[in-house]
Amino acid sequence: MSLKSERRGIHVDQSELLCKKGCGYYGNPAWHGFCSKCWREEYHKARQKQIQEDWELAERLQREEEEAFASSQNTQGAQSLTFSKFEEKKTNEKTRKVTTVKKFFSASSRVGSKKAEIQEAKAPSPSINRQTSIETDRVSKEFIEFLKTFHKTGQEVYKQTKLFLEAMHYKRDLSIEEQSECTQDFYQNVTERMQTRGKVAPERVEKIMDQVEKYIMTRLYKYVFCPETTDDEKKDLAIQKRIRALHWVTPQMLFVPVNEEIPEVSDMVVKAITDIIEMDSKRVPRDKLACITKCSKHIFNAIKITKNEPASADDFLPTLIYIVLKGNPPRLQSNIQYITRFCNPSRLMTGEDGYYFTNLCCAVAFIEKLDAQSLNLSQEDFDRYMSGQTSPRKQESESWSPDACLGVKQMYKNLDLLSQLNERQERIMNEAKKLEKDLIDWTDGIAKKVQDIVEKCPLEIKPPNQSLAAIDSENVENDKLPPPLQPQVYAG
Amino acid sequence: MAAAGGGAAAGRAYSFKVVLLGEGCVGKTSLVLRYCENKFNDKHITTLQASFLTKKLNIGGKRVNLAIWDTAGQERFHALGPIYYRDSNGAILVYDITDEDSFQKVKNWVKELRKMLGNEICLCIVGNKIDLEKERHVSIQEAESYAESVGAKHYHTSAKQNKGIEELFLDLCKRMIETAQVDERAKGNGSSQPGAARRGVQIIDDEPQVQSGGGGCCSSG
Repeated sequence: MSLKSERRGIHVDQSELLCKKGCGYYGNPAWHGFCSKCWREEYHKARQKQIQEDWELAERLQREEEEAFASSQNTQGAQSLTFSKFEEKKTNEKTRKVTTVKKFFSASSRVGSKKAEIQEAKAPSPSINRQTSIETDRVSKEFIEFLKTFHKTGQEVYKQTKLFLEAMHYKRDLSIEEQSECTQDFYQNVTERMQTRGKVAPERVEKIMDQVEKYIMTRLYKYVFCPETTDDEKKDLAIQKRIRALHWVTPQMLFVPVNEEIPEVSDMVVKAITDIIEMDSKRVPRDKLACITKCSKHIFNAIKITKNEPASADDFLPTLIYIVLKGNPPRLQSNIQYITRFCNPSRLMTGEDGYYFTNLCCAVAFIEKLDAQSLNLSQEDFDRYMSGQTSPRKQESESWSPDACLGVKQMYKNLDLLSQLNERQERIMNEAKKLEKDLIDWTDGIAKKVQDIVEKCPLEIKPPNQSLAAIDSENVENDKLPPPLQPQVYAG
Repeated sequence: MAAAGGGAAAGRAYSFKVVLLGEGCVGKTSLVLRYCENKFNDKHITTLQASFLTKKLNIGGKRVNLAIWDTAGQERFHALGPIYYRDSNGAILVYDITDEDSFQKVKNWVKELRKMLGNEICLCIVGNKIDLEKERHVSIQEAESYAESVGAKHYHTSAKQNKGIEELFLDLCKRMIETAQVDERAKGNGSSQPGAARRGVQIIDDEPQVQSGGGGCCSSG
């Protein structure tokens, strides 16, 4: 209001309306008094600055972490190492197995890799890194907030976690199995410490461990998921190819106790497939497990609706195999390996999640080894299907594939029904016409017959009077006859 | 195994993993549903699935969490067995007393389990469907003497009539507790922590493990 009245008040300095930067265009209060162009520039600059600051903060934190552990000796020399030298050392390191040497190099590689990180940070398109670090920051914050509620135990856990992450930083070049071993040891140590020293209730220990796992695995994910040192990626591609080659497998072959023609069931199947595919997008092993569990629950629902009784393993495993075949989840082997290596073992071994995970492992093992016998097919059929020469679907139903969605299936069915009806209609029409013709023919025939008969024996009717007269008229001599006797009365 | 044998501290519960093995149609699912829900072929069964069920028990003051893992019994999944029974504390091998073949399958399982897991695992051989005694095709003597010869216990059950099931699980739990206790004692000689053995295998532990792994002896960090 005040602004408005001011303006109305006769005189407003023209310069007040112009862009603050003095570019000559008009400014806008919504853009802090800049014109649109200048505002964009300013805003961009501010954002860049913010990003830079965030990075510096992250780096400083990292440095602080490292300083706690840095051995003073190597720092000076190592800092002068270029990135290429670091690479060289990294490869050297892999060949040497002496721990002391390893320690020496790990210290230098730490600095080296930090350099690498900085380089990454300064790369022209840091969007991906940026995104990860945002998530990491968020998880860190959440973790700290969460631990605050546990006071002393929380502090202790935080300290241990920090130490562990630093240690893992040194161990980045170790084999993935060794890294996994360290992580598993860490889980166990923290759990035991809390139970024996902190006297924390088991349920709370579990909760804290979940958060610890979330925190450390979000930070380690980049380095330990599908690492280059393993053949995980090759295995991923192999299983993907295998599943693609098995596209022709039908639910009937696997004895899947799920009837996808029921809309609810096919709904569940779709959900299960979505869940299993979603697994790849999660970073924390436990979240990945949760996806598998969700998928399994949907499968159970599908079975329950179809069979109307609780699903047993005999039903569940074939259905899971079918879901995996249909979904072809990305990086399946990497995900399984990652969960096996880095999930908190107490969850993986005994819990419900562990059971479903085991079943997924079974499903993958089955798909890898699957042969003609396990599908009840003859070897020739199996080979033909595998080579893509024929597909069993073509033989079963030529008009539509069982893959089609429910609506399309229904449509095809309706079309079928309509064409059948059409046929019947035509048949009836034909018969009706025939009947009509028959009827006409029949009447015609009758008429003709009558005609014939009439012709054969024409009706000659003589007038009856004439014939009577004729009888009389023939007797011409009647006149000659004496007159009939007349009764006479005799007077006697 | 940390969680499986982890009943070390007095107040803590034992967690046991038990696998159910046996051919399809011998009644594995009915058995476990009867045990956990006390229902048989019931329309009112609340559980969505019968492949993974848990049960909490209290045996002589010891708390036990039982996780029962059903396995797919079809022949074509036989090769997947080891993935299922890895790290399990007990195995229940079910056969149908009216089906000689299912008993042969049990024998195969026993051989495999003993080969893969040694004597760590408690085996139960279960002849199910004793309500169909008239159609019995596996003799009691044969089954029991076989069980004894492989160090397993034999049980007769009927999921339909709810016979012998409670006993089966109770007995199994007691045996698993015993095994776990023997284990603990063996481990307990060196250190009070079951994780000690594990740490011994580790290759590089010059950093935080030393600090955090001290157990009862070193000062708190």
